[in-house]
Amino acid sequence: MLSHLDRKLLRDLRRLKGQAAAVSLVMACGLAMLIMARSLIHSLESTRAEYYQTNHFAEVFAPLKRAPNHLAEQIRAIPGVATAQTDLSVPVTLDLPGITEPASGAVRSLPDFGEPELNRLFLRRGRWLPPGSRGEVLVGEAFAKANALNPGDTLTMLLNGRRQAFLIAGIVLSPEYIFESRPGAALPDSRTYGIFWMPYKEVATAWDLYGAFNRLSLTLAPGANERPIIVELDRLLRPYGGLGAFGRKDHPSHIRVTDEIRVLTILSIGFPIVFLSVAAFMTNAVLTRLLALQREQIAILKAFGFTNRSIVAHYLKFAFVMVIAGVMLGLIGGMALGTKLVMMYELFFKFPDLHFRLDGHAVAIALGVGLGAVTLGVLDSVHRAARLPPADAMRPEPPAHFRPAFIERLGLARLLSHSFRIAVRNLERRPTQAFFTVAGLALATALLILPNTFKAGIHEVLDFQWDVVQRQDLNLGLVEPSSARLAHELEKLPGVTSLEPSRFAAVRIHFQGRSRQIGLRSLLAGGLHARAVDHAGREISPPTDGVILSAKLATVLGAKVGDTLLLEALEGRRPVAAVKLRALAEDFTGIAAYMELHALNRFLGEGDVITGATIGLDMSRRTEFLAALREIPRVATVAIKETMRQSFRETTAKSMGLIQSVYLTFAVIVAFGVIYNNARISLAERARELATLRVVGMTQREVGAVLVVELVILALLAVPLGLLMGTGLTTLIIGSVNTETVRIPLVFTTYTYSFAVVVVIIASTLSALVVLRKLNQLDLLAALKAPE
Amino acid sequence: MPAADRREVIFRVRGLTKVYGEGTAQVRALDGVDLDLHEGELVVLLGQSGSGKTTLLNQLGGLDIPTAGELLYRDTDLTHATEHQLTEFRRDSVGFIFQFYNLIPSLTARENVGLITEIARDPMPAETALEMVGLGARLDHFPAQLSGGEQQRVAIARAIAKRPEVLLCDEPTGALDVRTGIVVLEALERANRELGTLTVLITHNAVMAEMADRVIYFSDGRVHHERRNAVRAAPATLNW
Ligand SMILES: Nc1ncnc2c1ncn2[C@@H]1O[C@H](COP(=O)(O)OP(=O)(O)OP(=O)(O)O)[C@@H](O)[C@H]1O
Ligand SMILES: [Mg+2]
Repeated sequence: MLSHLDRKLLRDLRRLKGQAAAVSLVMACGLAMLIMARSLIHSLESTRAEYYQTNHFAEVFAPLKRAPNHLAEQIRAIPGVATAQTDLSVPVTLDLPGITEPASGAVRSLPDFGEPELNRLFLRRGRWLPPGSRGEVLVGEAFAKANALNPGDTLTMLLNGRRQAFLIAGIVLSPEYIFESRPGAALPDSRTYGIFWMPYKEVATAWDLYGAFNRLSLTLAPGANERPIIVELDRLLRPYGGLGAFGRKDHPSHIRVTDEIRVLTILSIGFPIVFLSVAAFMTNAVLTRLLALQREQIAILKAFGFTNRSIVAHYLKFAFVMVIAGVMLGLIGGMALGTKLVMMYELFFKFPDLHFRLDGHAVAIALGVGLGAVTLGVLDSVHRAARLPPADAMRPEPPAHFRPAFIERLGLARLLSHSFRIAVRNLERRPTQAFFTVAGLALATALLILPNTFKAGIHEVLDFQWDVVQRQDLNLGLVEPSSARLAHELEKLPGVTSLEPSRFAAVRIHFQGRSRQIGLRSLLAGGLHARAVDHAGREISPPTDGVILSAKLATVLGAKVGDTLLLEALEGRRPVAAVKLRALAEDFTGIAAYMELHALNRFLGEGDVITGATIGLDMSRRTEFLAALREIPRVATVAIKETMRQSFRETTAKSMGLIQSVYLTFAVIVAFGVIYNNARISLAERARELATLRVVGMTQREVGAVLVVELVILALLAVPLGLLMGTGLTTLIIGSVNTETVRIPLVFTTYTYSFAVVVVIIASTLSALVVLRKLNQLDLLAALKAPE
Repeated sequence: MPAADRREVIFRVRGLTKVYGEGTAQVRALDGVDLDLHEGELVVLLGQSGSGKTTLLNQLGGLDIPTAGELLYRDTDLTHATEHQLTEFRRDSVGFIFQFYNLIPSLTARENVGLITEIARDPMPAETALEMVGLGARLDHFPAQLSGGEQQRVAIARAIAKRPEVLLCDEPTGALDVRTGIVVLEALERANRELGTLTVLITHNAVMAEMADRVIYFSDGRVHHERRNAVRAAPATLNW
């Protein structure tokens, strides 16, 4: 049986259901975010861990030019190496019917017999390659999906210049390609880039690599340290064109998933903190008011022998009911959102089986954090109320001192209506309440700034990447470095309006013990296509020597402008040179390093060579151009800007858009919740006084005006404050979305600010209407009779 | 009158002083009260407004702590009691009735009484208590649905339901008309008679003094004088 005190609790709750619901809803928003983000982290982490485990994902990777297979024995002998697997990875160009842009990718070798020891594949559809098969291929799922390829289809591939048709045996996934993208590209482009698997014999024969390998994967013995092993590998592989070994944490696919988890982590902390603080704040407002109104009731309970503790417990329970409702709502919301977002991740990340896994800890944390926040918010006032000697509590609160309001003292009294005067005096008389209302409104306003700034930031990234940095229409990549004369040949292709040669080289940049492997890109003095831009948006003219790095890369390396970096080429003659860091480039996706074209060629020591070109194209002649391009065999990759932009819009932008709209919805809910709650509290606190005003003859309009005037004055104070707070908060949170994969610039627009103001105005107007309606329904006698 | 003195002393008050505030704002609400209250007595406390009646009642009921003097409830020293002891004392031994009823508005009559019997040591059923005050038919009404007199009778039922040793009533009829006031007084008188509860009743209405065993006149925070009634008048015969 419910105790009588609990029954009182339920009835109080029912009476305050609007406000209790507002608190629970705000809390639910924060907790939904917490549960969603933590569960997604849990889903990604555990799914990835299981995937790695089941499919024997390697721990150290080493690409190289070519080494004899027997070198593997020497590698296995390195102390700390558990297993070593050698295989081949070669570039491939594809001829896809109906697609004018050439597609490209990498072919990886599989043992001719039996399963690979490491990096095992997962068969999604079709069948494995039969032992000793020829003319068959396994296709990575991302590419297969993007191009609607199925087992049984044939695929025409250009392997080392030879055109050959392959039968697709199966569609597969690989732990090495959870994120399947062109090396160095920040965004997936699965339509024109794919991964394929064939038996070793087939790959080796086509590329004349029989008995050799160019890829090495290792696992470590338990407890072994990867650092010395990588050093030893680099030493061993150096004569064989080693491109630098790296561990899992530098594995491109692994980094992408980790970066995503990082972003989720920030979201799972930043947002809930803000939302829960708001909820704690609201609970405090609701309860403080309730306590003030129930002073006499508390006194009676104490007079009849209820202990302080049972009274504290009673009011805490009141708060806890709101928390529990909030947690349940948050759980439902978090699961729904999480399930939706997991589906979105399937666009980017290829796992055999990624589904939403609720993080039980997150629910416990949500409950704990919710209870904690609310308890913190109210414990003090509840305690104070309970400790009040019953004889004191029995006496009504002493009447407040009134005096003419500040504005009136300024001599403006004649200009003020009665309603206005009462409102102003009230605010001055109760600065604490006014402060709380202003703080609540300001918070509501502040929360609305973030989501739209996020959105504006994403748009800025897009415009920046494709209109400021890369102003060409497409990028061409050559199969191998070629003479600069090729550029003239390409320039004559139909539709080409401008062409600038480019050079791309795999390098490793070292600075004080830290290093990053990266594609070094060329810049052209006076070039109009690819450019580097500084943080102020000014073009950085390429220096005649030295490098320009992404600001993020410089941070990762710990280098600043003027420092000398060690540049190690990972191809050709593999020169090493000390170069000065000349400038920092602002960019938002991935990390980059640039060098002036001639300086780069000087460094590489291969003469006047290019590996690609950037092209301005008359888009009306696009088909003609692509057809002509097919006749030039040395072209390996074509990346059309519009296609990439389109694919970005359909994937990344869409997912970010989804997250953004969720946040925006939440922020709007919170704004409404806070404002409505405030209005209700101010009505309830004043019911008696307002009823008295009515009784002495003021009209409903005049009494309503008192409340409305108060609200307007408070809003006028709160909104600018909120815009300021929102700017700070947003700077803090967006500033922490700062990974090597993506960084979001802070773009504050008039639209963002106006939106916040308009939402607050609408919410205030609606809340005011609800309150006015309540005011009109106010039972004058009841309001006068009992302080309720 | 000597009969009353033979009964056991429940409260022993000596030099009881209560000072509010400090310095120039100091108010001596009680200024050396000497008084004995006996088992089963019905005592009426009369005195001008501000003479310290409510203050005395609050000290007796353990709602407040005196500044100085001696206040014994049986063997318990209330002047030095801890918060916990005071709570125990109020829970087990005292029933309060206030001028403004002070019911919990969100609970029905039955529940308002039940709230207290739930934590009491040896309570009577809430229904019985309500019947004693003649409200057997209005068990499930909320305070807002009851008249002032009915609310006050619920408050009496709430106070007597736990069979307290002491019933402290601060102007229980202050807000009521004559007829209703009499009904309320009858309920109080009946509880005093049937349960043998020491009842202290503050009033501004000297007529009510007729129903008491003893009348105490209060002024300036002190007992001015007292008198005993040879016979207690029945509330119904009172006329004001
Ligand atoms: N908390 C307090 N702080 C300061 N002074 C107080 C306080 N409570 C009571 N007093 C003062 O103590 C004196 C006695 O008050 P008390 O309420 O006991 O009077 P009373 O006899 O009950 O009066 P009434 O018949 O009007 O109810 C009064 O002068 C009052 O102003
Ligand atoms: Mg009094």
